Amino acid sequence: MTGRKPIKFTAFLWHRRIGLAAIVLVIILAISGIMLNHTEELKLDENYVESSLLLGWYGLEPEGEAISYDVGEHVITVLEHQVFFNTYPVAKTGQSYRGAVKAEQLIVLAFDTELMLLTHDGELVERMPTGHGFSDIQRIGIKYKRPVIETSEPLYYMADEHILDWDVIINEDITWAHKTTLNDKKMAVLLESFRGRGLTLERVILDLHSGRLFGEYGIYVMDAAAVALLWLSCSGIWVWWSRKLKLKKKRHYQKHHRTSGSGI
Amino acid sequence: MKNAVFIMLLTLLTASAHAGGVYQEPDAFIAEVFADDPPKAEVIWPDTELKAQIKEILGHDYNGLRIRYWKKDKRTALILDEIGKDKPITTGFVINSGRIERVRVLIFRESRGWEVRHSFFTDQFDNAALDDDAQLDRTIDNISGATLSVRAVTKLARVALLLDKTVNAQQES
Repeated sequence: MTGRKPIKFTAFLWHRRIGLAAIVLVIILAISGIMLNHTEELKLDENYVESSLLLGWYGLEPEGEAISYDVGEHVITVLEHQVFFNTYPVAKTGQSYRGAVKAEQLIVLAFDTELMLLTHDGELVERMPTGHGFSDIQRIGIKYKRPVIETSEPLYYMADEHILDWDVIINEDITWAHKTTLNDKKMAVLLESFRGRGLTLERVILDLHSGRLFGEYGIYVMDAAAVALLWLSCSGIWVWWSRKLKLKKKRHYQKHHRTSGSGI
Repeated sequence: MKNAVFIMLLTLLTASAHAGGVYQEPDAFIAEVFADDPPKAEVIWPDTELKAQIKEILGHDYNGLRIRYWKKDKRTALILDEIGKDKPITTGFVINSGRIERVRVLIFRESRGWEVRHSFFTDQFDNAALDDDAQLDRTIDNISGATLSVRAVTKLARVALLLDKTVNAQQES
C-alpha cells in the first residue's frame, strides 16, 4: 500500500509518461527556438544548405542528369525540364532534348516535337511545334549554316535562313550536334542557377521549429509537443502542490504524534 | 441500379479527365483554313509599341520575340499560346478583314477548363472586332469552372486582332 490517492497517482504517472514521450520534440522546439532568436548572430540567413538530402526534400535537387550541347562559345543545357542558355534559364520543356546548333541568325534547339529558337544572346525568339510536317525529331545538325533535322523515318529537313520553311534534303555534309559535358565548376554554377537563391539554414530551422520540415502533418506533431508542454506545466504544478500538501500533513501529523506521545 | 449509376459517374469522370489534349495539329489547322494550299509562313517582330500593347492585354510580355502568321488576301491565320492556369493553351485564329472568322482551341494541356474548345464558346467570337480601346466589340460569356481558360482565349483573340491590324498596316505602308 502506497497510500496514494488514485487521482494524484494518475497525474504523476501521466506527467512522467508525457514528459518522456515529448522529450525529443521539446528539445527540438527549445534548441530551434533559441537559434531563431539569434538568427543574425548565428548568420542563419546567410548560410546555405548544401546537403543533397535536404535539397532533395525541398525539391531543389534535380533528379535527372544535365544534357548539354555546345553552340559556339555558349552551352545550351536542359536540366530537369529547364532550358538554360549557359546558366541563364530561358524556358521550360516537357520533351526529350535532341540537341542544339548555332545557325546563321539564331540558335536552334530540338526536342521530340518542338523547336525552340534563341537569339545568339540567349533571348527566346519562338517556340515551334513541329506538327505533322515532321515529327519525332531524332537529332539536329547544321549544313551551310542552316539547321537540319533528322526524323525517325529517317528523313532530313533543312530550314531556310529565317527558319520558317523546311525542305527535304539528302543526308550529306551534315555536321550533327554532339553532347558535351560540363566541368565541375560550370555544373556548380548551373546547379546554383537551378536552385535559385538556394535554401538558407534559417528556412530549415524555421521549418524544423514549426514542424513543416516533416511534411503536412509535421505542424500537428509540433502542436502536440506544445500541448504536451502545457500539460507538463500544469501536471508539474499539481504534483508539486500535492506533494507539498502531503508533506505539510505529514509534518503536522508527526508533530502532533510526538506531542501526544511525550504526554504519556 | 447503384452499380449502373456508379459506372455512369465513373465514365463521365474518366471522360472529363481525358478531355484535354491535342484536338488538331497546328499545321493541320493552317492547311484546313487555306484549303490545303497554305501560303508561306511570315513573321512579325513586335516593336516596343506593339509589345506594350500586347503586354497590356495579356498582363505580361508575350513569350517570344517574333510571332508567325499566314496571310492570303484579306485572311490572316495565327496560332497563339497563353497560359490559362498553369499550362499554355494553343489556339488558332483566322481574321478576315479585321473581324474574327474562326477560333479553334488546338492544344489544351491543363486539367480543367477544356470546355473552351466547344463551338458554343468559340462561336461567340464570330465577327468580333476590336474597338478603339483594343477591347472586343462584344461580351464573351464565361463558362463556370473554366474562367481562367475563357479569360486566356479572350485575351488571345484581342492579341490576334491587334496583330492582324499591325500586319495590314505594315503591308499598306
